[in-house]
Amino acid sequence: MTLIKIIETFKKKLNASYVLKSLEKAADFYGEPDNDSEINNPGVITKNSPYGDPARNFAKNLGSEDIFRNGEVPLIKLTNVWKIYQMGEIEFAALKGINLEIYEGEFLIILGPSGSGKSTLMNLLGCLDIPSKGTVCLNSKDISELNESELAVVRGQMIGFIFQSFNLLPTLNTEENVLLPMEFQEENRQIARQKASYLLEIVGLSDKKKNLPSQLSGGQKQRVAIARSLAVNPPIILADEPTGNLDTKTGDYILEFLDGLQKSEGKTIIIVTHDLELIKYATRIVYIRDGEIEKIETCKEK
Amino acid sequence: MRQSTYLKMGLNMLVHSKLRSWLTIIGIVIGIGSVVGILSLGDAMQEQVQSRLAEMDLTKITISPGYTKASSNMPGFPGMRGSSTDAELTDDDIEALQGLDGIQYIAGQISGSESVIYAAQNATISITGVDPQVWKYMTTLKTQSGRLLEPADKYVAVIGSGIASGVYDQEIGVNQVININGKAVRVIGILEEEGERGDRSIYMPIDGAVNLLDDAEEGVYDSITVKAKSEDLVDGLMEDIVNKLMVSRHIIQEDDRDFSVTASKSMAESVTEMTSSMTLFLGAIAAVSLLVGAVGIANTMFTSVLEKTKEIGTMKAIGAKNRDILMIFLFNSAMVGLVGGILGDILGACVSTLFPMLGLQMMRGGGSSDIYLAPDLMAFGLILAVLIGVISGVVPAYRASKLKPVDALRYE
Repeated sequence: MTLIKIIETFKKKLNASYVLKSLEKAADFYGEPDNDSEINNPGVITKNSPYGDPARNFAKNLGSEDIFRNGEVPLIKLTNVWKIYQMGEIEFAALKGINLEIYEGEFLIILGPSGSGKSTLMNLLGCLDIPSKGTVCLNSKDISELNESELAVVRGQMIGFIFQSFNLLPTLNTEENVLLPMEFQEENRQIARQKASYLLEIVGLSDKKKNLPSQLSGGQKQRVAIARSLAVNPPIILADEPTGNLDTKTGDYILEFLDGLQKSEGKTIIIVTHDLELIKYATRIVYIRDGEIEKIETCKEK
Repeated sequence: MRQSTYLKMGLNMLVHSKLRSWLTIIGIVIGIGSVVGILSLGDAMQEQVQSRLAEMDLTKITISPGYTKASSNMPGFPGMRGSSTDAELTDDDIEALQGLDGIQYIAGQISGSESVIYAAQNATISITGVDPQVWKYMTTLKTQSGRLLEPADKYVAVIGSGIASGVYDQEIGVNQVININGKAVRVIGILEEEGERGDRSIYMPIDGAVNLLDDAEEGVYDSITVKAKSEDLVDGLMEDIVNKLMVSRHIIQEDDRDFSVTASKSMAESVTEMTSSMTLFLGAIAAVSLLVGAVGIANTMFTSVLEKTKEIGTMKAIGAKNRDILMIFLFNSAMVGLVGGILGDILGACVSTLFPMLGLQMMRGGGSSDIYLAPDLMAFGLILAVLIGVISGVVPAYRASKLKPVDALRYE
């Protein structure tokens, strides 16, 4: 089965082609953190979603981790993963035999102090890097066997990235930044524009479409980054310290938003952080220290 | 990713690029401007030479006294003959040559400068004494008024247009009388404007001229002009003339040779050759500046890749393939080349227009000041600029495309 087919099958199975009401709910809940543009009638937005029929709400199916974990194949599976860096003559193991399974619809927080190896782990989960030893399987496919081009396809279609320092392209305006992942996937231009408008509306930045990142506040930038991460509607959202550069209120807004994505959309949210405040959103917490998993905590109640 | 997206991204990079990129573009502008400008000037020069050659009588062979090896190597420049000589060309030489096949006309001529008085004004003017029997068949000169010399003429003159109007306050017309060395000479014709020294020459029958020019002697010529029956015969005829004169002048060794034979055809060829080599030489200098421009692009692209490392990492993280990154940077450097090419073409047009204005009229065909920049040359300039942009951008773009996303994202 070709890689594209695997991805397509996976997407169908997850039926992740919907950005649902929870997005607006999250926005509504906290209001606009920076007095940005008002979000339009949420119902209207979802009804007109270019991502498809909003009626199907997967939240009920994904409410309990027990349901989706029950007998299913993990979405991401790390088996005895080592990442060793050569520093001159010294070998440094950033990850030492990590075993981890991540399932669809989880809100997983990888928690650890700096230097614990969590960023290295994130790179592997995001297919940005391959392990020195062991296997990282995404939907049962070992990513070590993929070439750079295939990894780019996987990243582009299955993973939405949110970075601590936003990583927006400074020369592209807000709309172009959101359009970019769709350009890489050669999405139809008209549809891509509709999707970008929709996503920017959802994150409350419709009136900032033509603004360059330098003309936005930190919170606004991160919301653009979220809109960008959702552009191709990937099943996995991978966030590296997404609130690290934001004030508490804006940070909470972002997390509520991600929480909404997980609950209503069934997206798998993986957050790498050292901030204990974030654990309240998690369905599972992976504590990592010195390149090893210290413990894994399952949160029954969120 | 689509080609149009590459184009858009490349253009976006260019528009938002720093001063450095624009300075790089200046390098290309100068390079393309000078190449296009010089080639355009070269074209104009070539065209000028060609038009002159078309007017030229390519069947003309000139025999003159004196000979050096240098002169044989540079037939186009008989004036550069190194040694002065006591050798003379006489009627005997003409007689010796008359029997040669391929000669249509042969005539000796004398020349010198004398003071010419007209309307109480004195000027020193070059006078050429020609054989009126054949001159009108041998010369390519045409009169704008009056007539050329006829066999019966003696103390009459055909004057260049520059003398008719320009040397004296009062214009000289046909049938006016000028005074050469104390002798009254009637003007019977005024030549068409030539744009060269010919405009300031007086032509008169050799029989009259021999009495007016100092040092002139009857039966002794400053040069002998031969008109070949056809252009194809010129080379063979030149050889025959040399051989014949060697014998008739009793010269055995090449070193003792005391006459030169030059053909306007070989002169034309050497002028053409010289024009091309000059264009080539100047073009080579311009090409060097283009090379410097190309290195500038490569340098800027490398810096740009370094500067955009994190952006490259981000693009790769959100789905850009190596090929996408490669193409975005290639399109950007092609764009730098294209903008440089467009501005370079404009500069080239300015160069080829300004040069003649600055007085270098010979470079622009008689000093016409119209802008001349052939569309194909402009297209060549543009294509060359884009090509240079792409070639200079290949290595930096390749490097950018090969960056590992994880390393690129970590780059600060």
